[in-house]
Amino acid sequence: MSLPITAYVSILHRISGIVLLGGIILLLWMLDTSLSSEQGFNELKETLSSPLMIIIVWGLLAGLAYHTIAGIRHLLMDIGIGETLEGGRLGAKIVALLAVLAILAIGVFLIW
Amino acid sequence: MLKVEVYRYNPETDKTPYMKTYEVDTEGKDLMVLDVLEMLKAKDASLSFRRSCREGVCGSDGVNISGKNGLACITPLSSCVKNNKLVLRPLPGLPVIRDLVIDMSQFYAQYRKIEPFLQNDTPAPAIERLQSPEDRAKLDGLYECILCACCSTSCPSFWWNPDKFVGPAGLLQAYRFLADSRDSANEKRLNGLSDPFSVFRCHGIQNCVSVCPKGLNPTRAIGHIRNMLLHSAT
Repeated sequence: MSLPITAYVSILHRISGIVLLGGIILLLWMLDTSLSSEQGFNELKETLSSPLMIIIVWGLLAGLAYHTIAGIRHLLMDIGIGETLEGGRLGAKIVALLAVLAILAIGVFLIW
Repeated sequence: MLKVEVYRYNPETDKTPYMKTYEVDTEGKDLMVLDVLEMLKAKDASLSFRRSCREGVCGSDGVNISGKNGLACITPLSSCVKNNKLVLRPLPGLPVIRDLVIDMSQFYAQYRKIEPFLQNDTPAPAIERLQSPEDRAKLDGLYECILCACCSTSCPSFWWNPDKFVGPAGLLQAYRFLADSRDSANEKRLNGLSDPFSVFRCHGIQNCVSVCPKGLNPTRAIGHIRNMLLHSAT
């Protein structure tokens, strides 16, 4: 099948949603650990400094960023914006562009 | 010579479907895909496909052309041939009867569900039920559908739930009657669509809009139905 860009934006929205389903639990657990005690905070800080953890957290935040941006497009379509063929394609391109920028920015922030 | 890969399956003789490659001499002309199918049929009479009007009106020759659903009769080779190769498969998601011929029962069952006929319980006037030009204009972009099934068979939500999700073709027609000023069954129609599957499996993927050979927009019609459901619920 050759699919239009709107279809790729849609399937990525779903995939990022599934990633977040598990990822949110991990992020909440990290928040809980960091708030539980000073020792917990330090241990978590130690764990998160490894390159593997940075990549995992980057992946989760990338999913969150993409899901949020694509979700806003859904809300706009629900009020009738971007429902035409051209509008849908333009919206999908804007989502892809904004997501790439957001994911790069998150990456830069994490590595810094 | 144009290379044409065609999906072949005869349930009486083939265990599994397979792709068969043909070579066709188009003499450099920009033929329609249906012309190529006819040339193949002349070479190999066992090849089966549906066709009738050959001008994009009857909607019987919907096929998957190089990965995109469309009507073979109005799709020029120049728009679908890549690297001198054309790939023809049956419309995806529905059972294959033979070669490019699919069983459209599920598609028609969904169409039947939305009661695609005018319903009005007020006494019939002596003349036609009149409509203002403005009300008539609301049906433009809806009534032109020829039920070729290109949209519904390109829709992932319809692939998953062909028995429960009405699909873009059925919903475009559902809205065609919801928008008709002469129809008085809106409440009943909306009640029939308010479950979680009939309308709400649409996730705005817009495959339907991108393949419709008539340039119609089921996604927008579905948005209108959602708004009507929202208003009727409050």
